[in-house]
Amino acid sequence: MDFNDVIAYSLRVGVLISAALLFIGFMLLLIEGKAGYYSINQIASTASMINSSYFNANTLIKGTVSMNPVAIMFLGLVVLIATPVLRVALGLAQFIREKDYIYSTITAIVLFNLLFAIFILPSLLHL
Amino acid sequence: MIQPIIYFLILIAVSAVSGILGALVGLGGGTFLVPIYTLYLRMPIAYATGASLISTIATSSGAGSAYIKDKITNIKLGMGLEIATTAGSIVGALTVAFMYSHHLQYVIYIVFGLVLLSQVYIQLTRSKYELPKEIKPDWSTKLFKLYGSYYDVVLEKEVNYYGVRWWLGETIMFFAGFISGLLGIGSGALKVLGMDWAMNLPMKVSTTTSNFMIGVTAATGSSIYWIYGYIQPFIAAGTAIGVLLGAFIGTKILVRITNKSIRYIFSAILIFLGIQMVLRGLGYGF
Repeated sequence: MDFNDVIAYSLRVGVLISAALLFIGFMLLLIEGKAGYYSINQIASTASMINSSYFNANTLIKGTVSMNPVAIMFLGLVVLIATPVLRVALGLAQFIREKDYIYSTITAIVLFNLLFAIFILPSLLHL
Repeated sequence: MIQPIIYFLILIAVSAVSGILGALVGLGGGTFLVPIYTLYLRMPIAYATGASLISTIATSSGAGSAYIKDKITNIKLGMGLEIATTAGSIVGALTVAFMYSHHLQYVIYIVFGLVLLSQVYIQLTRSKYELPKEIKPDWSTKLFKLYGSYYDVVLEKEVNYYGVRWWLGETIMFFAGFISGLLGIGSGALKVLGMDWAMNLPMKVSTTTSNFMIGVTAATGSSIYWIYGYIQPFIAAGTAIGVLLGAFIGTKILVRITNKSIRYIFSAILIFLGIQMVLRGLGYGF
């Protein structure tokens, strides 16, 4: 299996897992008619007050364990955000293996930017 | 109970159509999605751009897995330019967070409309050839190894190419990243411009590499959108599923369609939506 095949395969799997989680979350929401304290009509609305600012890593894990439909949807979105990160990380591994120093450095910077935005920036902004 | 199902199906349908259009022109679909959501579904622009940005990743990763197999996408080229797009995306997303918290939404509508209209100009004035005119390689060609080749199914031959003016491409990419973070779109047209016009790369390489890049750019912006609460789970879920379906269909068509026909359809829709977005920002109807 070629390295590019590994990348293509992992991208596809990531996207499919994400889509599956999003769909399961939606189905659960329909079946239960609510998620936690919120009714389905509060969630499935254009002007809904329920959004990502109330969900961090902690509430996401707790929510997923208790099969909260909205938490599962958010988990699907987290998996989606993770696919390009994985893509870049695999690219970095590939360039290091090929001993391509310029592109190893470049890819490391891109990965830093990504991880900076995901992990460091939120705490800097105190949100 | 029926209401949420219908709403979800509407979200899927609208984003599937946007995803098809997006995949055809190497965009994330958000270019069409955000105007339709805000103008016709009356969605707050923060939620529309949040759903759009995150689903851009779905287009990129979904279609990207197909493009890697074709070996048209130039990963090195894309990765090198990602330095600028990710940095630009962070700045853009923080800027829009400032604007929304100061009730400057109307500015985003106007900027969005203008970006749509400027893309019409880009589409129509862009070189009419599949392959760029030859320009001498410069220092950046060698240093950043901007060489590549692919098999072109339309021209029925192996195409060897190389890129020039890496720094100019990088500059445009920072701006493309900024627009992506600001408006919640992949800003693929700007990325294509950076590669096709600035770096003198073939159309197909620009489009597919741009598609690879928008995912990484959007992931950077999405995390900032997340903490500010611009991502509404129900809307984002329906949008991501729809865009993914659309991108899947769009990729199948891409191989067969010629560049000219893509551009005309694309331009007409852009003009229509662009004018409406500007008018909405200025406070007129819609």
